[in-house]
Amino acid sequence: MAWLLLFAILLITTETALVSRFPALLRNFRYQSLCLALLTLLAAEREASPELYVIAGLLFGLKVLLIPHLFDVLIKRIGASEQVGLFLNTQVSLLLAGALGLLAWAFAGALIAAPAYLTQATLGIACYITLTGILLMVTRVKALAQVIGLLLTENGVFLAATIIPGGMPFFVEIALFFDILVSVMIFGLFIYRINAIFTHIDVSKLAGLKG
Amino acid sequence: MIKRVGTINALWHFAIWLAALFLLAKVGAGNLKLSWGGLFYVDALSALLILTTATVTFAAALFSLSYIAADLAQGKISPAKALWYYLLFNLFAGAMFLVPLINNLGFLWMAIELTTLISSFLVGFYNTKHSVEAAWKYLIICSVGITLALFGAILFTYALQSATGLKSLNWTVLLASAGQLNPNLVKAAFIFILVGYGTKAGLAPLHTWLPDAHSQAISPVSAMLSGVLLKCSLYAILRYGIVVTACCGAPFYSRLMLFFGLFSLAVACIFIITQKDLKRLLAYSSIEHLGLIAVGIGLNSPLALFGALLHLFNHAVSKALMFFGAGRIAQAYGTHDLSKISGVTRALPVTGTALLIGSCALIGFPPGAIFISEFYLVSAAFVGGHYLIGGLLLGWLAVIGGALLYHFGKVLFGKPLTQPVSPAEPIGSWLSYGFLLIFIIGLGIFIPNVLRQSLNAAVGVLRGS
Repeated sequence: MAWLLLFAILLITTETALVSRFPALLRNFRYQSLCLALLTLLAAEREASPELYVIAGLLFGLKVLLIPHLFDVLIKRIGASEQVGLFLNTQVSLLLAGALGLLAWAFAGALIAAPAYLTQATLGIACYITLTGILLMVTRVKALAQVIGLLLTENGVFLAATIIPGGMPFFVEIALFFDILVSVMIFGLFIYRINAIFTHIDVSKLAGLKG
Repeated sequence: MIKRVGTINALWHFAIWLAALFLLAKVGAGNLKLSWGGLFYVDALSALLILTTATVTFAAALFSLSYIAADLAQGKISPAKALWYYLLFNLFAGAMFLVPLINNLGFLWMAIELTTLISSFLVGFYNTKHSVEAAWKYLIICSVGITLALFGAILFTYALQSATGLKSLNWTVLLASAGQLNPNLVKAAFIFILVGYGTKAGLAPLHTWLPDAHSQAISPVSAMLSGVLLKCSLYAILRYGIVVTACCGAPFYSRLMLFFGLFSLAVACIFIITQKDLKRLLAYSSIEHLGLIAVGIGLNSPLALFGALLHLFNHAVSKALMFFGAGRIAQAYGTHDLSKISGVTRALPVTGTALLIGSCALIGFPPGAIFISEFYLVSAAFVGGHYLIGGLLLGWLAVIGGALLYHFGKVLFGKPLTQPVSPAEPIGSWLSYGFLLIFIIGLGIFIPNVLRQSLNAAVGVLRGS
């Protein structure tokens, strides 16, 4: 089951490189977060840990329901176009994502010894998501797409945290969720401001400061 | 009303400064290691950073008095926004004080993330096109960086868990079991940490957000960003560095710090020479000084570490003074474009004099404090047999010093091109300049015993004893 979910995460992440519209990008983020929540649920069941149940619930509530909803509202409010705006076209993005995947795989293989295949795969895919998130942030021009890229990156970090038996210390994890929520709100606020001042959210045109 | 809030704010930060001084005398000079409930931990290194933060924050609180009043008078901000400023100022300072007090690496991460989130509002404070652009870059780039740092923290936890079965993010625990960790895992984790926190610490080539954010922020806050926030992030790297050194020996860590340090110096050098904006010039100079500190850490001898930690404090006070002066100039001239500013010593005698002394100190002329710490750093390179590094340091310092002298000579002397508004010097800037100059000149002449003992104790902490 864990393998299946990991494979699903791998597919979803790869597909984000091909996406060029916000609703699709958001949907990908939603599905990825859902898989992550389910993985955490599996771990909670395996280790009979009530703390992990709480975390799986929080993942579901925050990253599958609340944050995507906030983005939906934001997109409607500022009336932005649905295009994420591509610096690189989707084919090149996909190729780059593939290269990053190889890199992540080699990285995980070098760090985790042979018999722990599940840990190895989890770390590899976590690293892959993190790198792909950054790739999206660099190669998409709209401010919103950058924030979603950042959230994907964070999903990668959360996935990496599942390789620690029992997860991260409970209070740290709770505080992390709080932090993510606050940062998403602040990002949203700044997107409003950018939209109000520049009348667009195209980051490639924010080039007033140089040198 | 605003004036009273500002005065209370300044008094409150003075009280904090006294407390920080007391803490340094007690913990630093006594070389104590205190911890409370596993969550908080203080040793000489933290006490030193707390004093640095408190010094710059208090000076910034003093300078805010007159700066905010002038902004109000010019109609740049509303009274409500001024109150909002003081609230953000205190939240920001609070988050920075939290960083050196925390034992838990997860919460340390959070405190640093919190500093970014809060200060982004202070960077975008004026809500102009430029400031919002700078705030956005700052938020996005530092958030990516900090996410990578979290990845590193998770790898560290995993390394600890898989080696000892302990599930803890407390760095005292991590240090105690450093010998048993898997070195490869620790090295990989540290790369993430270094890239992550290095982004926030402004180490080149991860510095691209820094000149924008530091030049667009409201000036008292620019001083806090350049003077202490960069060092908060560096502090996190240092804490991990102690563990890495204990786990896989010094060379790995040293080489990385040397590389980033020297690279930062080179990048800063190029941009300082070609700079056209006063506040950006100071921001690039911060990259230079962070690079110097990183080189000192990388050299890793007691002398070099002593110099690096002393430089950390010296740069904080000198750069704070420079940003206050630049803020005052920007307010009076209505621009921070270097080509439009000249004759500051004539037009604004007090600010001009403070800037003249400050820029000489920043370049590294004796008897400025920076001269002493740079002298320690360069001698440490030669004493340690690193002749190439010592030579490079001297060369870059000379070129950067020349460039700064050229830029500041044009700004400070000559005839004012435009007649600046409000030439009368308000009390807030007098006080803040005076307070900082005590350290800038004083530490160049002699280092008090308390500070010397604390620095030595902090060097001991860095060397893992």
